Amino acid sequence: MISPFLAAAVALAIAFIIAYWVTRRRLEAVRAELAAATDRAAVSSDSDLAAMARLSALLDALPVGVIVIDDDARVVAFNAGATEILGVQAERPVGRALIESVRSYDLDRRLLAALREGVEGTADVPLHAASDRNLRITTKAVHAADGSTEAIAIVEDLTRVRDLEAMRRDFVSNVSHELRTPLSAMKIMIETLQSGAGGEAAAGFLRSLAAETDRMVVLVEDLLDLARLESGKLDMRFGSVDLVELCRDVVASHLPRARRLGISLLATLPDGKVTIIGDRDKLVQVMVNLLDNALRHTPSGGHIDAGLSSAPGLATLYVKDDGPGIPYDALPHIFERFYVVDQSRSRSAGGTGLGLAIVKHIVEAHGGSVTVESELNRGTTFRCTFSI
Amino acid sequence: MARENFHRILNETQQDVLRMGSLVEEAITKAVDALARSDIALAEEILNFDDYIDDLNVRIETNCLNLLALQQPMASDLRTIAAMLDIIIDLERIGDHACDIAQITKHLANEPQLKPMIDIPRMAARAREMLREALDAFANRDATAAHRIPAKDDEVDRLYRTVFKELIEFMAKDPKAINRGSNLILVALYLERIADHATNVCERVAYMVEGVPKKLKRSVVEINDVAAHGDELIRAARVEGATGAP
Repeated sequence: MISPFLAAAVALAIAFIIAYWVTRRRLEAVRAELAAATDRAAVSSDSDLAAMARLSALLDALPVGVIVIDDDARVVAFNAGATEILGVQAERPVGRALIESVRSYDLDRRLLAALREGVEGTADVPLHAASDRNLRITTKAVHAADGSTEAIAIVEDLTRVRDLEAMRRDFVSNVSHELRTPLSAMKIMIETLQSGAGGEAAAGFLRSLAAETDRMVVLVEDLLDLARLESGKLDMRFGSVDLVELCRDVVASHLPRARRLGISLLATLPDGKVTIIGDRDKLVQVMVNLLDNALRHTPSGGHIDAGLSSAPGLATLYVKDDGPGIPYDALPHIFERFYVVDQSRSRSAGGTGLGLAIVKHIVEAHGGSVTVESELNRGTTFRCTFSI
Repeated sequence: MARENFHRILNETQQDVLRMGSLVEEAITKAVDALARSDIALAEEILNFDDYIDDLNVRIETNCLNLLALQQPMASDLRTIAAMLDIIIDLERIGDHACDIAQITKHLANEPQLKPMIDIPRMAARAREMLREALDAFANRDATAAHRIPAKDDEVDRLYRTVFKELIEFMAKDPKAINRGSNLILVALYLERIADHATNVCERVAYMVEGVPKKLKRSVVEINDVAAHGDELIRAARVEGATGAP
């Protein structure tokens, strides 16, 4: 006979087993579901991360600065361009208020105005950081689908553009000045001739007129050459050029002038040939300009050594004088157009201020480089190095 | 005001201090630019700047006092608020000095320069650099930088002595230079004071971060020897004038 206790106990045990089994199955199902969900989440955050990395790489590739701030005015994007233009370390700005990293009241104010009041626009503002810059800032509000607002600023660096504009203005005013000065002198001489000057005076005026005209022809030719060189439109006729022969010829053609000026000019040349691929006429012009420059700046009794030295794979044309030298702070500028170290002296010496600019362009068009070394009262050496 | 609200307002107020700092920085730069170029329009612009600076000053002060009164902040938060209340006084003074320089620019605009300005722009650059770094130290809560920056004040003081001596010599030689010379001495003095205010900002930042109260240094530039030298020069000039008179 089965006691009712035992029956109850067995029933309870069976119920327990069933409950345990059902719960376990359910738990397993939940666990499986959880695992699946976690997997899905991992996959989607992986692809989110990839998309964000791609976006930030794209932003970094832009040549302008891009700054995005979120609803709370915290920086959420700050690309490489912004880092460079605004001079900030790359990882610092994100997650903070912009003013904490970029101390520009204007930029901050405009970005906040776009975010909070929807005031958008473009403005040129100066940035006074480690180095002063001119910036153009464009700000816009961006409304996301979820109702949140962000603001974006595009920052362009106009410093270089402004510098170039200033250079262009200087150039135009220089050209006008260089052309007008001889013209006014010529006009006065012509007027005097017209009013009936004759004899020795007239002959003198005509000689001066011819000299001024020559100077202007040289200047205009130099200008045209330079313009063609700079725009890459100058025809270069490349061929094989023996620099030894070239140097010997140019020095020989300048010997009479050196003798007249009381300057000793000699050429130091290696035996045999040193040949490069180049445009002979243009290379002659390089050597002529450098020699002309040295002859104009070396006082009577001075020495000029022009020559060629070669190392494996390289050939260097040089012109060395023992003239007054170039002041240290003028050295970086001497290859600029119309730069003359001493205005008063150079004018009387008859330079156009374009010769060295032309030298630099021609040498660089040959893939070479030109350097200058100078010491006050000791002399100056120009070197043009070409690969053979 | 909930606690998170407290931190939001505290953060915004700190950002306002940086905004005020960047305005002040720009004001110094423009003031010295205007002076060097005798640019009256730019000088006028700086005088308008002062309104923005004052607005920010009032906003920061009000926020700080509200936070103190309503939240009873403690420790670091309390020190930050106290430091901000001090820092804005220094910033406001710097802004005033920029205005003083702008006024002098307007006053001197029609007078010829004594000589090209070299040391005054140099002083301005140093003072500006100190202020910028002091504000960086505040933004980054960087006590190390805050301790390092004040050493740069020596260079500004040295430049001040040079400018002072040079201008005294100019004025001693040529009484016509007195108006310009004395005004430029004031400009140099303002720039020297600006560097001192930047030093104060650094000391406040160090206190804010480290919590160690420190007495502010009073910066006095010794110029007695220079002034005495100036007296001699003036006497010499007078004697020369007396004997040279017909």
